[in-house]
Parts: sequence; structure tokens; C-alpha cells
Amino acid sequence: MFKYPLLPLVTVCILFGTHSIFAQKVNEFPKRTDPLYKKVEMFDKLMLGNHWNEGAIMQHVIFPPAGLDRPIVGSQADCLDPTSEMLAAYSHKYAITKDPKDRKIANDIFEAVLKLEKVTGVEGLVARSFNRTNEPLWHEEVMWYHEWHQSTSLPGYRWLGDLSADKFTSIFYGVGTFWELCADDVYKKKAAGLLDRFIGRVVDNNFKLTDLDGKMTLWGNFCPNLPHQELNSLEMLAALKVTYHITGKERYNAAYHMLIDRYHYDDHQINSKILFPEEWRNVGDDYHAARSLYMIMRLETDPNLLNKYRMNLNRHWYDWKDLEFTWESNIWFLMVYKVLTGEDVFTEEKKQGIKDMWGFDRNTKEFKIPQKDGSFKMVRSEEERTAAAMIRNYWFGRYYGIIDEKW
Amino acid sequence: MKSCLTLLTFLVPILYLVGQETPTPPEGMVYVPAGEFIMGSTYGDPDEKPQQIASTKAFFIDKYEVSNAEFAKYDPTFKFPPEKKNNAVIVTWSKANAYAQWAGKRLPSEKEWEKAARGIDGRVFPWGNTYDNTYVVWDQKKTRGTSIAKPASPYGCYDMAGSVWEWTSDWYKPYPGNTVPMEQYGETYKVMRGGSNFNNHSFIRTSQRYYVLPEKIHVYPVGIRCVKDID
Repeated sequence: MFKYPLLPLVTVCILFGTHSIFAQKVNEFPKRTDPLYKKVEMFDKLMLGNHWNEGAIMQHVIFPPAGLDRPIVGSQADCLDPTSEMLAAYSHKYAITKDPKDRKIANDIFEAVLKLEKVTGVEGLVARSFNRTNEPLWHEEVMWYHEWHQSTSLPGYRWLGDLSADKFTSIFYGVGTFWELCADDVYKKKAAGLLDRFIGRVVDNNFKLTDLDGKMTLWGNFCPNLPHQELNSLEMLAALKVTYHITGKERYNAAYHMLIDRYHYDDHQINSKILFPEEWRNVGDDYHAARSLYMIMRLETDPNLLNKYRMNLNRHWYDWKDLEFTWESNIWFLMVYKVLTGEDVFTEEKKQGIKDMWGFDRNTKEFKIPQKDGSFKMVRSEEERTAAAMIRNYWFGRYYGIIDEKW
Repeated sequence: MKSCLTLLTFLVPILYLVGQETPTPPEGMVYVPAGEFIMGSTYGDPDEKPQQIASTKAFFIDKYEVSNAEFAKYDPTFKFPPEKKNNAVIVTWSKANAYAQWAGKRLPSEKEWEKAARGIDGRVFPWGNTYDNTYVVWDQKKTRGTSIAKPASPYGCYDMAGSVWEWTSDWYKPYPGNTVPMEQYGETYKVMRGGSNFNNHSFIRTSQRYYVLPEKIHVYPVGIRCVKDID
């Protein structure tokens, strides 16, 4: 009767198999009491298994039924943060292990950052995130601004625009660390090329991150002619310093000194940390300051400028010294402070805080999913946040001798 | 006779001006006189150019953005946390427009909004040309008009920089003489002004324009400040 009697069965098997491949892949969690290295190893598997989006790392993953099997669904506005953290983590790890497998993972993550540029179709314009899909996904409607685009340069992909100063920092920090510790000659060249195009485009647009529409992005202002946060002055100087170091192109050195000599960015950046009123203190911003200071203070040799960056660090330290380790990124602040100053700030209590680092718990939550007719459907699903900061902290700490491999 | 004519030449305009009393604004509104002002900028996004001399009729404009509690008087089904009754309401364009009509007012044009925000002298911010965090409501927990230093616009409006974006009645179109192509120009997007507490400082400049789909605001915090014609 049927030419291919087994076809329905095969189809069902393929569909079932596809689902099992692309659904929750890694389900094994560490115990809170496990040693640090074991927790890091297991969260690393969870991140690479469940959060891997063609090399980019998802900050948040919603599993089926609210999330789709492919492409991955979840908040994607900040994906460059965990992506750069994992890139830095594997760069530090490779610097210790020299294991080609670690370098391969770092290379793959770096390639995803390149893809974030390629998907926009504009040289030097980098997306916040991408997804392999032709159709808008439900979370595009509710989980960020209306900034998703269908790619014209990579058919079958959609990408999220409106890059911010925070993600700008993720790029020069992650790519800069990769270039420094992990990339071979081929990848060093690729990394330099990416920063040259990316930072070069910002410089060409008078120190603004501009989007596909030619307008400055909501958080893309480093411009000397426009009012901007002190933190943005620091981020711009750090980006130029790193890009000059990596590309050797004089234009970045000239831009760095122009912003200092003519627009006093070196003075402006000192107050990156808002201390008063106290409710304005923002540890989220401190993370971007920490990454910028970490990159710039290791490259700057002018004692006067170094002194100004140290003044900035000191303002942060005023707050950091009393911070409780409630967030993996603020554990890193202290590591950065130690690396930059040489001061031994790790008391036994702080060391225990490092040993107690944790990635995430898998939660179940109800999601309000927009339907095509304009209504909403409530769907209960599991979700995961990111452990990338914890993993980066670990390999950073190992690299600088702050964390013992036996912990 | 000649001296009488000369006297009349000076006296008539003076008497006319004296006779033009500043209209008393309705409660919660301020008066913006008719006349020319500097609109646009030479240094912002391409869509702010060219800087130009524009003019408006006289009008009244709300001193503050419309609050959640005020909006709920128009739409009793509108829900909000009780502690946020004085926070600025966040709604789509059609709801904003319907509210304005219900209140006997209307949404401002871009020209009216910009003039109310910066006066006639082309200033960057409602209070002048320098930025200060204390002039702006940054924190979404704070309510309207609660910036530390409470700076008002030249006509006495608060929170025209920061807090929530504010709807205008205008479609996103190029200014006369603007030659920079933008595929978004046309009658798809409405213009919102004033920036919010979730964008960088430059977006709270008085000349900054931003476009948004009128009925799909996603997470853009955009609210209402109405104007009223003077009869």
C-alpha cells in the first residue's frame, strides 16, 4: 500500500531524537558542598551544554515548552557578558593548561563574536546576540527593546542591535584577554582585525556607538561633544589603549591622547564610581569599571595617568572593601584589586567566599508568551541563568595564584 | 499733528501689549507664549538637523507627566502598584491620545514639546547647558518631580529630561532641509521625546528625537504630557 511503510516510524524517531538532542542536554548539578574545582567543572559542562548558541553564550535559557529546542530562547540583551566571560575564562585556563581542547573552545567562542559582527552586515557593527531563525521568536516581543533585525548578510539569522557601553566593554575585555593569553598567530590577527573594525567604527562616529539606522544607541555615548557618564570616559580610554596595544595602529594612540589632552577624559574618569548619595551606588556599573581598569592599568606606563586610574580604583575600593560576596562578579572586583595593586586583601573569610562560589540553580517559572492574535498564554517552564562569571573568576584566580587548585 | 502721530505710533503697540494679559493656565499646566525658538541641534543625531528657527502659537502644557493615578481616572481598569500612584504612567500612543482627548487636551507636536522643554535660546537641557545627575529623576522608584535639585524648564515644566519618554502627536519625519536618508521616516513610527531613566545622558537632551512603534512599545518607558490650546 505504501511505498515506504516505515517512513512514519522513522519520522517519529527522528523528531523524538531531535528533541532529545536539542532539549535539556546537561542535567547534572554539583552539590553546594563539593570542592570548588568540581563545582566549576560541572557548571562548565552545564554552560557549554545548555547555553552554547553557536559559540555565543546565552545569559539565560528557557527550556521547552516555553523555550524552543532550536533556536535557544531566553533574555539575550546581555549575552556578550557571559560570552566574554567564557572567552576570558578559557583564555586564562589555556594559559595554565596549554591544552589544545581549551584553546579550541576559546577559538569557537571568539568565532561567535566575529559572527556577531558578520550577522549585522556592517563592518564594525556588532550585534548584542543572534539566533538562527527566519521567524521572530516570542521572547523578542517581551524581553528587550524592539531592536531585532532579520540578517541580510547571514540568511536564516536574526540579530539584536542597539549595542551598549557595557557590551562594548565586554568586547574589548574578552577579545583583549583572548589575544593576550590564548590566541595563536592566526587568531591574534583575527582578534586585532575585529577590534580595529569595531573600535575604529566608534572613533569614526565621533566616539559614539551607532546602530544600523545611523542613530546613537541608547547606551552608546562616549562622545566628547555630548554629556556622558564618567564611567564611559574610562571605558573609551581603556578600549583605545587595548586596541592600540593589539593593532599597533597609531590612530588609536592619537585618539587616546586627544581625549585626554583636549577633553580631559583622564580627569573625568576618576569619578566613575558614584559614592553619594549612597542609593546611587551601582555594582553593575562597577563590573564595567573593574574590567576597564584591569585592562588599562596593566598597559599604561605614564605614571601621571596611572595615578589617575589608581584614584578611580581607590574610589571603587571605598565601596568594594565592605561588599558582601553576594554576586560572583563582585568577588572578581577584589581579585582585580589585588592583581592591580599587589595588596593582599583576601582574609580567610574572603577566601571562604571564593570557595563557596556558585553558578545557578535551575528554576521553574511561568512565562507570559505573546500569541499571534495579540493574547498571552501562560506556560510553565524551567530556566537557567549563567555561571560564566563564576567560571571566569575561577580561572582568573588560578592564573594569578589567588585560587589554589586543591580548593 | 505730527507729534500726535508719533505718540500714537509708540503708544498703540504698548497699549496692545499691556492689554495682552498672560492667560491663566488651568490647574497643573503652565503657559508657553507664542513665538519663535531654536529647534534641533548641530551636534546630535542626523535627524536633529538642520538646526532651525521654528515657531508655535501660545499653548498650555502639563507641568508634570501624567501619573498612574491620573490615568486610572480615565481608565478604571488600569492597574498599578499602590506605591506607584504618583509615578508616570507608561502607555501606548493610542491610549495616550485617548487620555488626552478625555482630559480635554491633546498630545503636543514635536515643536510644542521642544519649545516647552528648552525655551527660545537653544539650550541643551531644560535647565541650561550643563548636566548634573541631581537634576534628573533617574530611579524608577522615585516619583515625578523628585529630582534632588528640582530644575524646571524655562516655562516651569518638570521632568522633561529623564523620568519617562513622552509621546508627541507627530510621525517620525525629517525636518525640512534634512537630507540624511532614514528608512524609518514616514507614518510608521511616532516620535517620543525627553529620554527616560533607562538610557544615557545624551538622550535627555531637549533636541533628541527617538522613534517607536505607536502600539508596540516593548519595554520603552513612554508616557504622557498633554497640551491645551488657548481659545
